Amino acid sequence: MDMQSARDLPRSRVAADVGGTFTDVVAFDELSGESYFGKTLTTPEHLVEGIINAVHKANTALEQTRLFLHGTTIGINTIIERTGALTALLTTKGFRDIYEIGRINRPEAYNLFFRKHQPLVPRSMRIEVTERMNAQGAVLIPLDENEIIAIARRLKAMKVQAVAILFLHSYCSPDHEIRAKRIIEEQCPGVFVTSSHELSQEYREFERTSTVAANAYIGPRVRSYLKEIDERLAREKFPGTFFVVQSSGGLYDVVHAQRECVKMLESGPAAGVIGANAVCKRLGLADAIAFDMGGTTAKAGVVLNGEVMMAGNIMIGGYAQGLPIQVPLIDIQEVGTGGGSIARIETGGGLRVGPQSAGASPGPVCYGLGGTEPTVTDANLILGRLAPDRFLGGEMKLDLEGAKHALQTKIAKPLGIDLLDAANGIILIATTTMSNVVTRVTTERGLDAGDFAMVAYGGAGPLHAGLVARELRIPTVIIPPAPGHFSACGMLVADLRRDFVRTWFKPLEKAGFDEMENIYGAMEAEGRRALEHDVADRGKIGISRGADLRYAGQEHSVTVELPAEIFAKRDRAGVKKRFDEVHAMRYGFNAPNEPAEIVSLRSSVVGYLEKPAPKRLALTGGKRAPAHRKVHFAEHDDFVDTAVYVRSELPVGARIKGPALVEEYASTTVVFPGDELEVGAFGDLIITIDRR
Amino acid sequence: MLTEQPQKLRAAGSHKVDPVVTEIIRNGLVAITEQMKTNLMRTACNMIIYEAQDFTVGLFDTRGQIVSIGIGLPMFIRGMSDTVKAMLAHFGPGGIHPEDVLVTNDAFITGSHLNHMTFAVPIFHGEDIVGFSACMAHWQDIGGALDGMTKDIFSEGLQMPIVKLYRRGEPSEDLFAVIRMNVRLPERAMGDLNAQIAATRLGSRRFLELIERYGRDAVLGGIAAIMDHTEAIAREQVLSIPDGVYEAESFMDDDGIDNGRRIPIKVKVTVSGDEMAVDLTEVGEQVKGFYNSGEATGRACCQVAFKCLTSPIEKPINEGSFRPLKIILPPGRVVSAVRPSPMRWWMTFPMTIVDTIFKALASAIPDRVIAAHHADLMSCMINGRMPDDGKIYLVSGGLIGGGWGAKKGQDGSSATICINDGDTHNSPVEQIEAKYPMLVERYALREDSGGAGTWQGGLGVEKVVRAVNEFMFNVQIERVHCRPWGLFGGHPGAGNQVSVRCGNEPELSFPSGKVLARLLKAGEAYILRSGGGGGYGSPLDRPIEQIESDLREGYISKQRAERCYGIVFRPGGDVVDVAATPARRAALRPSYDHLDWSDTVEPQPGGNAAEEFFRAGNAAIFKRCC
Repeated sequence: MDMQSARDLPRSRVAADVGGTFTDVVAFDELSGESYFGKTLTTPEHLVEGIINAVHKANTALEQTRLFLHGTTIGINTIIERTGALTALLTTKGFRDIYEIGRINRPEAYNLFFRKHQPLVPRSMRIEVTERMNAQGAVLIPLDENEIIAIARRLKAMKVQAVAILFLHSYCSPDHEIRAKRIIEEQCPGVFVTSSHELSQEYREFERTSTVAANAYIGPRVRSYLKEIDERLAREKFPGTFFVVQSSGGLYDVVHAQRECVKMLESGPAAGVIGANAVCKRLGLADAIAFDMGGTTAKAGVVLNGEVMMAGNIMIGGYAQGLPIQVPLIDIQEVGTGGGSIARIETGGGLRVGPQSAGASPGPVCYGLGGTEPTVTDANLILGRLAPDRFLGGEMKLDLEGAKHALQTKIAKPLGIDLLDAANGIILIATTTMSNVVTRVTTERGLDAGDFAMVAYGGAGPLHAGLVARELRIPTVIIPPAPGHFSACGMLVADLRRDFVRTWFKPLEKAGFDEMENIYGAMEAEGRRALEHDVADRGKIGISRGADLRYAGQEHSVTVELPAEIFAKRDRAGVKKRFDEVHAMRYGFNAPNEPAEIVSLRSSVVGYLEKPAPKRLALTGGKRAPAHRKVHFAEHDDFVDTAVYVRSELPVGARIKGPALVEEYASTTVVFPGDELEVGAFGDLIITIDRR
Repeated sequence: MLTEQPQKLRAAGSHKVDPVVTEIIRNGLVAITEQMKTNLMRTACNMIIYEAQDFTVGLFDTRGQIVSIGIGLPMFIRGMSDTVKAMLAHFGPGGIHPEDVLVTNDAFITGSHLNHMTFAVPIFHGEDIVGFSACMAHWQDIGGALDGMTKDIFSEGLQMPIVKLYRRGEPSEDLFAVIRMNVRLPERAMGDLNAQIAATRLGSRRFLELIERYGRDAVLGGIAAIMDHTEAIAREQVLSIPDGVYEAESFMDDDGIDNGRRIPIKVKVTVSGDEMAVDLTEVGEQVKGFYNSGEATGRACCQVAFKCLTSPIEKPINEGSFRPLKIILPPGRVVSAVRPSPMRWWMTFPMTIVDTIFKALASAIPDRVIAAHHADLMSCMINGRMPDDGKIYLVSGGLIGGGWGAKKGQDGSSATICINDGDTHNSPVEQIEAKYPMLVERYALREDSGGAGTWQGGLGVEKVVRAVNEFMFNVQIERVHCRPWGLFGGHPGAGNQVSVRCGNEPELSFPSGKVLARLLKAGEAYILRSGGGGGYGSPLDRPIEQIESDLREGYISKQRAERCYGIVFRPGGDVVDVAATPARRAALRPSYDHLDWSDTVEPQPGGNAAEEFFRAGNAAIFKRCC
């Protein structure tokens, strides 16, 4: 094969992360090992055009692309903006209101004006069906197929676009849901029909209702969006495969993505954690905290023993009023602290930072777009950590005087403190709230953040990571290349993945291994079937099993990983022992003499894709002499002369003692006094935190 | 007479602390009690803790004052602090040592029932106590009579005075033995006990970490400053309420023994500058049935209402919030009952007191108050034997949520837990049916149950549960007759209701709301219906398009739209005649407007005014609505 034809073969993989503000594209050239970046503003009216433009900006041709990987906020935006399909919900007779009743809780217990969750499907569109199963899966009232046919005709006449089906106990006996779905599909061709057991086979009818209703509500829009991308890719002569990122961090093909739309709601943040795991792997780290800070939020996830920590559900729209989605996904905790978080003085003199955010518009005062409230970004500018003339590669000039004026008049003067103390104080408060979100995924899981490294990314992550790490006694911070495009980078290293959960209430002593093998076997066969088209080599398919267990009498269960040898040896005592250990780790105590019960069985089927090998950078020469500017740190009374490096000019192995700044497009890394940075073999900035 | 004097705002600058560090400590305290809460919920062994969140965790200062409470049970906002104070008084500061675990469930200290086992550990920094970490949680069983009504505290179970369960880290095996022998489900009880102790120790550990990180003076000074800030927020809010004396009265149906004898709930609120006083002197005396609560709860009623009105979302919940509030509460009232009155159902009456305080202040702050809610947990106590192994099970049925009152500018919330509780969850139907021999036939909103108004009260719910195997059923709901009132012309919501269904007989309704020790055989069912919230403002002012939407969604019936809202339908159809409706509304208005609904539907002692009003046919309009 000569060079010319090799160049013509598809050799790129392209990841496109469409966020609320920006569309990020990373293209990886497998031949050269180079990455190319493209960023465009997200235009909601022309999402697909935005992607194609960003691909072009990244100097990449789709006709030479093997893999197109996509993360999108279209699903979650459709829910939050309430712009989904005309949807009907079919439920067991007597239960159409469970979606509206919800869990009846008032998290804001003293707020008389508290508003509970608002269903996506109004009451008039929730239709009761004659059928009933019991908890053992036995039929109490058979499904009346004629009634379903009549309902289907009514729905068709109403021009319903999507239908969700939730019957009680379908997690253990889905027969009625399957039949009802088939009838609706026959009667209403073209309508998006989805049933709860296809998305979740866990008990809890409200959560399953909410999951399937959301899937129906966003289904038509997501389906046509993916179709539009598919068609556009075809027009661009894209010869490869198109995958979408799930909230689990795994990829799925377009066929599944168009059916199980709720599994992609958190694809961007999930890809970030997958990327952090890849950073760990190339650096030989088993454990790390993934820390992502942007304009309005900070998020944290955990890699433990080389695996990303998972959760079983998420509340879309926040805990108090959110709609639950009950699918396996990466455990990511979030707090409303970001660069745009507003500092203000509360009645009585308390200083607060966030959760109100100036957002992208008007944005921080220093953007000069009409913002008047001082923000975290303004504080960073005043302290010299951001430069007025170098923001976004110099594309945007920042108004330092405006920021100073706002902070002085709104915070420093009323509190009677110095401007710089106020700026440092705002950063410190933001740091501790972000530290608290990290402890929610570590300390509250029985983990000590001090045992972890932290991989920090997002536009504002590298600015604050050193402080958050100090707060939590984290020894090492890693800033990967292109931290502002990190979610897209994470997509490049994701694998295909199918997750299954099946509720199976059983005292552990009575749990038969044969029956368990049957249940796991069925889940895994389905997983293999879903993957075989894209992963021809069976050796490239991996399976991991787990179970949710609890002590008899408890409600909340913990997920315990169960390695293959447990099943090979039929080691019941081993299951119990692992559960006791996990319980002790997470909650500080266990009860080895108390019986345990199984709540659900879990299985993940992963189809490993070939990854771009991490590229070792050449050791090139000495680092260029840095520029200098005055930066303020809380440790010193006054500004100190601080070296400012350009990241692309730093060679592998370069060592820099703090204080120092490393600038790149859309991000600035702060090396705090006492810390030391080293450029790793793969271009990561590895900062050793001074923990004295 | 027990009174609590408001403390004067300290002179500015008395707590000269760094505002930044103070804010960091504030976030830290909230995070600590959140962690305690999560830990307890996830490890507890009974559904009342993990789903109903009938617990409270908190940090307290060296005097037992609230530093931070993690929301569990709002109505226990006072109980844990008072318990820590009682423990301090009992042992004296020198009598508490490192690694001690203190416990009590004395109902006359906690103010609530014996199920509320309350643990506290001292937080030692070096030689000194710097605070307490405490945790109350509701045990599924504490012994005592299984079914029926109790008439004194002795029949309600094990009473644990203030004792040390651990002395300097050494467990008192004797006490453990006493507890184990006195409860029906000792394994569950021990599981909950361990979960509670783990939560208090976690709180202590995290508090010490905060001290180690920021220094003792900064933390303690920061706490003082946080209390001052919260106080200032509350004072600012009180200052915005016009000065005056505001009174209101409402009624409870009865005490479960003297059926039909109403119990008056009369409150007087005095606002003067930035201080408020709530006087509960004229609340009814303690009763024979188990609806009493202790003084801690009587004061909690006032503090919960006060916090809702002055600093509802301010965190952490701390003592500073309550400094501008003075409470007048003589002993012997139904919410300041004295030994040995029965207290098992302590939580019901206080909720109506809270609503009545809002009602008293309605004329002063019409845009900040709320109409009455269903004000009952709608809980029932069920016990039976598992069909497979014959083991006893105890389960709290109910907790179905109900309607909340409307407010200015916002309809009431439907199917939402009452104010006694906060982040309480119902039990999934799929969970109940998997765990117990029961089948839920229906769990649905009650159409037409919300009080009509410009802003409509929230809807109550209905739950029908069939016995698959027989079990004993006890329910003791209130406000069946004394229904949730409306404000400013808004109509009352439907009352709470309970009935049973046996065979093909028609539903048997229990007018008193109390069903004590009823055996439900296989195939029989109980039906709980929670009340709706009161409406706000004249129903005639509710926008027509909103009523059309309510009709479309089935929240109200056509009859109600016609009768209460003055809607005209086009002949022979379900379509609102938008053109004809305003004229009918105008014609109805004079007879509507001269009635002050907030008063005329109020029950009088010994009877229910609304019903008598209805029976007498005095108000045709009311008849049409109900």
